[in-house]
Amino acid sequence: MITVPLRRLLPILLFAGAAGVAVRCARVPAPAVVTAKGEHLYRTQCAECHGSQGQGVEGKYAGSLSGDWPLPRLARYIEQNMPEDSPQPLSPDQAQAVAAYLYDAFYSRAAQAKLRPARRELSHLTNRQYAVAVADLLRELEGGEPVQGAITGTRGLAATYYGSAQRGRFDSGRVVQRGVDPGLDATFAPGTPAWARVGSAEFSAQWRGSFLAEETGEYEFIVRTPNTVRVWINTEPGNPAEATLDVNVSNPTHPDHRVTVRLLGGRRYPIAIDYWALPEKAGAPPPAIALRWRPPLGSEQPVPARVLSPETVRPTFVLATRFPADDSSHGYERGLAVSKAWDDATTRAAFEVSGHVARRLDRLAGTRPGDPERARKIEAFAVRLVTTAFRRPLSAEETQRYVGEIFQRAPETATAVRRVVLLALKSPPFLYGDLPPAGDSAPGRAARLALGLWDSLPDRALTEAAAAGRLDNRAEVAAQAERMLGDPRARAKLREFFHVWLQLRYVEDLRKDPARFPEFTPEIIDDLRTSLNLFLDDVAWGGAGDFRELLRADYLHANARLARFYGLDAAAVGEDFVRVPAPTGERAGVITHPYVLAALSYPKSSSPIHRGVFLTRSIVGRALRSPSVAVAFNDEEFAPGMSMREKVEKLTRGENCMGCHAIINPLGFSLEWYDATGRFRRSDGGRPIEAESSYVLEDERVVRLSGAREVAELAVTSEQSAEAFIEQLFHHVVKQPVLAYGPDTLPALRRSFVASGWNLRRLLVEIATLAALPPATLPASAPASFAASSVTPSHP
Amino acid sequence: MTPILRRTFLRQAGLSAAVLPFVAGLPSLGLAAPARPRQLLVVVFSPNGTIPTAFWPDQAGRDFVLKEILQPLAPFRDRLLTLQGISNRVRGDGDGHMRGMSCLLTGIELLPGNIQGGGKSIPAGWAGGISIDQEIRNFFQSQPATRTRFGSLEFGVGVQDRADPWTRMSYAGPGKPVAPISDPYQMYERLYGQVRDREHLRSVLDPLKEELAKVRRLVSAEDRRVLEEHETMVRTLERELNDPAAQALRAQPPSLEGGVADQNDNVPRLSRMQVDLMVNCFANDMARVATLQYTKSVGGARMNWLSISDGHHGLSHEPDSDTAAQEKLIKINTWFAGEVRYLAERLAATPEPDGEGSLLDHTLIVWTNELGKGNTHTLDNIPFVLLGGGFGFQMGRALKFDKVPHNRLHLALAHAVGHRIPVFGKPDFCSAGPLDLA
Repeated sequence: MITVPLRRLLPILLFAGAAGVAVRCARVPAPAVVTAKGEHLYRTQCAECHGSQGQGVEGKYAGSLSGDWPLPRLARYIEQNMPEDSPQPLSPDQAQAVAAYLYDAFYSRAAQAKLRPARRELSHLTNRQYAVAVADLLRELEGGEPVQGAITGTRGLAATYYGSAQRGRFDSGRVVQRGVDPGLDATFAPGTPAWARVGSAEFSAQWRGSFLAEETGEYEFIVRTPNTVRVWINTEPGNPAEATLDVNVSNPTHPDHRVTVRLLGGRRYPIAIDYWALPEKAGAPPPAIALRWRPPLGSEQPVPARVLSPETVRPTFVLATRFPADDSSHGYERGLAVSKAWDDATTRAAFEVSGHVARRLDRLAGTRPGDPERARKIEAFAVRLVTTAFRRPLSAEETQRYVGEIFQRAPETATAVRRVVLLALKSPPFLYGDLPPAGDSAPGRAARLALGLWDSLPDRALTEAAAAGRLDNRAEVAAQAERMLGDPRARAKLREFFHVWLQLRYVEDLRKDPARFPEFTPEIIDDLRTSLNLFLDDVAWGGAGDFRELLRADYLHANARLARFYGLDAAAVGEDFVRVPAPTGERAGVITHPYVLAALSYPKSSSPIHRGVFLTRSIVGRALRSPSVAVAFNDEEFAPGMSMREKVEKLTRGENCMGCHAIINPLGFSLEWYDATGRFRRSDGGRPIEAESSYVLEDERVVRLSGAREVAELAVTSEQSAEAFIEQLFHHVVKQPVLAYGPDTLPALRRSFVASGWNLRRLLVEIATLAALPPATLPASAPASFAASSVTPSHP
Repeated sequence: MTPILRRTFLRQAGLSAAVLPFVAGLPSLGLAAPARPRQLLVVVFSPNGTIPTAFWPDQAGRDFVLKEILQPLAPFRDRLLTLQGISNRVRGDGDGHMRGMSCLLTGIELLPGNIQGGGKSIPAGWAGGISIDQEIRNFFQSQPATRTRFGSLEFGVGVQDRADPWTRMSYAGPGKPVAPISDPYQMYERLYGQVRDREHLRSVLDPLKEELAKVRRLVSAEDRRVLEEHETMVRTLERELNDPAAQALRAQPPSLEGGVADQNDNVPRLSRMQVDLMVNCFANDMARVATLQYTKSVGGARMNWLSISDGHHGLSHEPDSDTAAQEKLIKINTWFAGEVRYLAERLAATPEPDGEGSLLDHTLIVWTNELGKGNTHTLDNIPFVLLGGGFGFQMGRALKFDKVPHNRLHLALAHAVGHRIPVFGKPDFCSAGPLDLA
């Protein structure tokens, strides 16, 4: 089970992943004489394996010496274990001196920040930012209709039924019924309600409206009908040439017609269905139609009424070109890598966009063939396109280079426009969202706001504000950020962050052992994801927007199916998702959401280690380094009858493991109340759950933990936890290291966050505003609106 | 730019996604020399039956005399094979035209469906199997030596934008019709879009390099590294774009006349444009199977260019006694023969790249029709005329059979390319094995 030979390694905690730890409060430096002695000792006894600045030595100890242990702990560890291969240990004084030296020289986060000062690095758009930016570029150029997101009014699709069927046409004189159909799954057999609606086997119908795509990715639509149907998904309805599916000739033996469409999450897309029940051969199945889909990460299912609206929206351009994965070596995705594959992708994407523009050129440019002003209008459109893509006005020289010269050289206008798009989208001002000369200007602030809150380009209001000098101070920038929160793109971005924070970005398969959990069906998994998303949205965007609610909520969003499975009060629940209270003490927000718990489980059992690592990094916000040895958990290697906790304790009892597992295990054990599907349990394999354990805080105090609600309280009363969360959010929003904005930024953001009642929306505004303003305008201390406040840690 | 050209241009742009994978990464446009003699198959379709008395040679064997309709093919008499007595014996749902068309290359019944044909026929749907052109295409594509970029290309002339069993003869599988492309500009885009895209890309490289150099001067020394890497990528792209090996096409794309709209009166010009594109794509080895579909079953083209203002299908229903209609139908079918001749001439005039002889020596043209005779809607004596040297058949003959199922001809085509399938289409019709044409 151990795949790498065990080796005693210095288990010093590293900054690992996104859960870096905040700068700690100031410490009185050690006297110079102690440090000098420590430095001498380090150079003579430690540097050979650890490198002159703790950077590590290949073949000896390659990891870097940096982390978040307090100095006394560091000294104690060195005293007991170092130098590793020497029979002559260090005296307590020597260990103290070495620890004091390396703590300030390179170990502590402050030392690291001095050694390698964080800075804002030039980075190009991430994959997501590129796709969102080109979608919104085309939307702005088409008139800038607002992005439509969540459905607030009536749910379902607008339906019109006709009492006749003429292939390819509808007879407005034969309308037999109009209304809203909540979903689309009807068989028109005599005696059914559907039949009563049309009263004949020969009829036709049209459905119009929009649907919300919750997640970004590939959506497979399945239109099941033995009849004739035409479907438009995210295209202009009415034109057969634009149809996403065109089933003119019925095929009753193969009624499923499938098509896959890529969509950006958090937006609504138009859908239109034209349907004809025409005469079939005798004995053919009755007319029927069902609209089904398989969303990303989901299973095939009817398109639920929850995501359908009778209101139509404009189509959105969704890029098909795939980019190589973004650099996430810093724990969050950033556009740092320039590779051949990336450059090729930018070329393909630019061609894709230019083709789209060329096909709609007249409409986009507000002209038509034969218009005497056509050439002029198209050139003006090209200038508008480059300006929008670059997020700033063009100089005369740039207008000439990006548009004028290309129009002069190209054989005709359509070719010229293609080339303008190609050049603009391959150019640095588009690809690197934040670039001189826009940097410190109002357009630069607008660009950073739009990237921060939307991953996109500025909209018209923001561009106008920049042009009119209404982004000149902090209050004006914050007011724009506030306004921008109301846009679905801000929700989409925060939703994506939550999935990163909860480590759900790459969750693929939540299925469990069917013998052990036969009722944990794909439908339950789909429902759980919906339940979690509804909860996250409710907390963030409804009511107080209180972060603590994310960790403390004692309810679940559930429909009847989930309520049944999770033993909730099912009588209160219909098909729709509603908030259902959980039995007292059983649930604590995202920590115990069954989707999260199931993702952090094995197919047959819980996984305290996965859960513990998640809680350590994402919830309580402590740093962990990668395991020093790779250890596989093989259930069959343990004696029968052992509890999961006993197995984990046995597996991780080694000294080299306990450096991290002393933190991981107590947190993970506190979630032993939940099985592999996230169901609450009181026993495991016939033995009562033992969740209680001792947990050592970062300041070395020890507390007892016995359940998820105590973990939640730990997190919402700790400065470190709050700062770890803020830092993760900052990195996701800004895609630059928070330390590059000054050492006081994170504590200031925390104080303001706490003062606002842990308001997530306020925090987003603060972060986006901060990042939009150039560093020079940042006050040395906390920003003006940050109220001084602190939390007093109190532990259970 | 005329409105018509712009419309077609915009439409051809619709296909650019199909060629995108070839734009960046920039693999060679030119293709490796063929490892063994190529075999090319072209199926040409013209609709509504023929006039048998003006079509079939009276005498079987080598000493046949070409009748009026086939006269345009006289220069190729020695490379011609007329097959009288081949029947489409597939029955089942749908009317004669539907089965004539959708069972022509598939040899199998139509699936249930809601397309109501003429008379008292039962509504029907798509063909229930793959067509022989696609079967041979798949066979070629399954082997590296015969694999090409497209495998097959489906050309149309005046087909109209309607999808039903009267307009589709090619099927990728049961219920999976393959739509012909009637717009030569759209076909051009599909074949040569990447050539044009390279041109676009090349034209913006200079301003792009200027911009990168300008921006590089504005950023900090640390950030400069990123932009330098970016500049390296652009230089690499430029090298690839200018690499002559990556650009070599054996035959340069034909220059199409502009602004020919997909309309009835343009059919003669569209026909020549499509043939030119087909021959060019064979010269560049982009595909080894092609279909060329003139209008559709029940096609009502008005051949004003022959001074015939009646629709083709309407005329084909006139009785044999209507000599005026018969004369017009002979003229119409003779015109189709002339288009086949143009195709044969262009193939004969194009040398086989890196090989022996001309393209025609490597090609078999199969000219066919969905009916034997328009006014009877018979599926017997389907006009099958084979032309070219590609399949090893003994040409220069007029053969006469007696109601032989056309499935056996399809088997012969498959076997001639080495694809020795025992049955094709409806197995009942295959028991006598492939037709012996060698």
